[in-house]
Amino acid sequence: MDQTHASSPLAGAVHDLATEVVLALRSGDHLATVCGAAGIDEENRTGIAAVRVIGADLLLPSVLYGRHPHPGDVAVLDRAVREFPPKPDAPAATAWSHWHMISTLQRMAPPAPGAAAPGTDAEPDAAWLEEAPWQAFTHQLSVLAPLAVPAAPSAVQRAAANRAVDLSRGFVRAVRRRDWLQAAGAGRWLAAIGGEPATLGLERGLDFVEQMGGHDPRVTLHVRAARLMAEARAR
Amino acid sequence: MTTTATEDPRERPGAGHPARDRVSTPGASGSSGTSGAPAASGAALAVLPGVLASALAWTDAHRTRFALPDDVLEPHTQVNATLKPLGELAQLGSTIRRATAPGTPEHELAGDLVTYAWEQLHEGALLLELLRAEPFAAYPYEIYAAFAGYGLRHEGFEALARPLTATRAWAHTEQHANRQLGLVNSERRVGVLTHTDAGGVLSRTWLGGLSEPWMFEGPSGYALTHTVFHLTDWGRMPDRVPERIDGYLRTWLPAWADGCLESGQWDLTGELLAVAASLPGPAPGELLDAVWPVLADVQHPTGCVPETGAPVQDPAPDPYPFIDCYHSTLVTAFAAALSLRSLRGTGERGETGGAPPGRERHTP
Repeated sequence: MDQTHASSPLAGAVHDLATEVVLALRSGDHLATVCGAAGIDEENRTGIAAVRVIGADLLLPSVLYGRHPHPGDVAVLDRAVREFPPKPDAPAATAWSHWHMISTLQRMAPPAPGAAAPGTDAEPDAAWLEEAPWQAFTHQLSVLAPLAVPAAPSAVQRAAANRAVDLSRGFVRAVRRRDWLQAAGAGRWLAAIGGEPATLGLERGLDFVEQMGGHDPRVTLHVRAARLMAEARAR
Repeated sequence: MTTTATEDPRERPGAGHPARDRVSTPGASGSSGTSGAPAASGAALAVLPGVLASALAWTDAHRTRFALPDDVLEPHTQVNATLKPLGELAQLGSTIRRATAPGTPEHELAGDLVTYAWEQLHEGALLLELLRAEPFAAYPYEIYAAFAGYGLRHEGFEALARPLTATRAWAHTEQHANRQLGLVNSERRVGVLTHTDAGGVLSRTWLGGLSEPWMFEGPSGYALTHTVFHLTDWGRMPDRVPERIDGYLRTWLPAWADGCLESGQWDLTGELLAVAASLPGPAPGELLDAVWPVLADVQHPTGCVPETGAPVQDPAPDPYPFIDCYHSTLVTAFAAALSLRSLRGTGERGETGGAPPGRERHTP
């Protein structure tokens, strides 16, 4: 068990959840329940908070493999959306993450007719992203890496597509700073949107990031997601 | 993986807006980010004249520290503390003189410094003695070439160097590719046949291989800057930079310079700025505007710039040992002169001074 896991109950739950998402991404097994495997149910407060941290990536295996998510995972994600709404003064990235959880639930698990669904929110503001210096831009995009998935258009994704070179510089910067999580998030965005300069060497770069930072399952999660998206783009 | 080449600066989307101010970032997961307002256009031009004048003034005030000791030719003398600094004074001084307008104080002072260095070498006679002592070493020739390219020559030195540089052994000197490019540039300056084709050597350098930019670090950084210096004759001929390398450098220099600033590598920062100012076409204004104000802040009021590390706040005239700041100060002056030329679109740009770019003579 590494330091990340041991540092707090929440960090431990995030570690376990990310590990289960990675395992599901590796196996492609659509019947697997990520939350169940991590020992999290709707009554587990720490687990729900951990799901809020992981965000819509809880359903990433289903999103990338195009399969129905496990009802247990949908229920826990829905619970996290309801229990942790962003405060009015929450940072923009938090509002975006919340918005993306709701939109992912609506795409992947539409509510049964007549059932109450979480309110459909308008997209939060993204103008601040377009004006951010490339360093801050990359950092914020990395925090919002769960939004880097196919067929999920958003203003964040459009901003990323418009600034692929800046994101590539941010990837270089993150690797040089040994910030593997940020590098993995930036690399995942580049794999999702394409358009990075050919000289970046993203594929080898992501291999390197996984080898150096893979003790954190969130790093592995982003790298695996990037590979699956890159493979899909190459087909 | 599908990739799209977007390194043509004309097609570069979302050009960077580097800035140094730190802010707290929402949802940060153990990493820090930089943010703040983009660097103002014109920020480089606002500080560059002062940076150049100040760095040259420090160099002038410390010119005796470049003086050669009486025992310079003795085997025990450290070349890195004697001939190397003097050669760098000549090299960078002559470049600054060429990049500045005649009649300006910087132009005159740079010329004075080159003359001083030449006098220290007894107008080349001491280099001839050095070559007679070490006839098979390349460095006397490289030091001499800095002067020869400027028009200061010594007949006896060239008479001895001529047969040596025409040998097979000279052409097969084993060394790093960027140093070999330096030798080619020295040969061009002296005006002899180059021992090989620069393009072939360039392709063997870290830069010429368009290496993955996330593998950049100190040693590869200096190899890269010197590749450009030798290729362009120290920024004198930007048009010698091939298009693919121009695009590569414009794409990745911002990321590397940012890292050098963050880790306090001021000397390498200065060299990267000199590279940025040695590119053909329009000046990379956003990069220069973002980085120059930071380096200007690091510069001591007396004009010197430390090689690395946190700048000291000591107002005393010599806050750093000479050996730890002379090179970074010379590099700062050199990069500032080239940046001013690049931003103002003036100077020798486009002048080839001999063979046209890429068409230099070489031995078959």
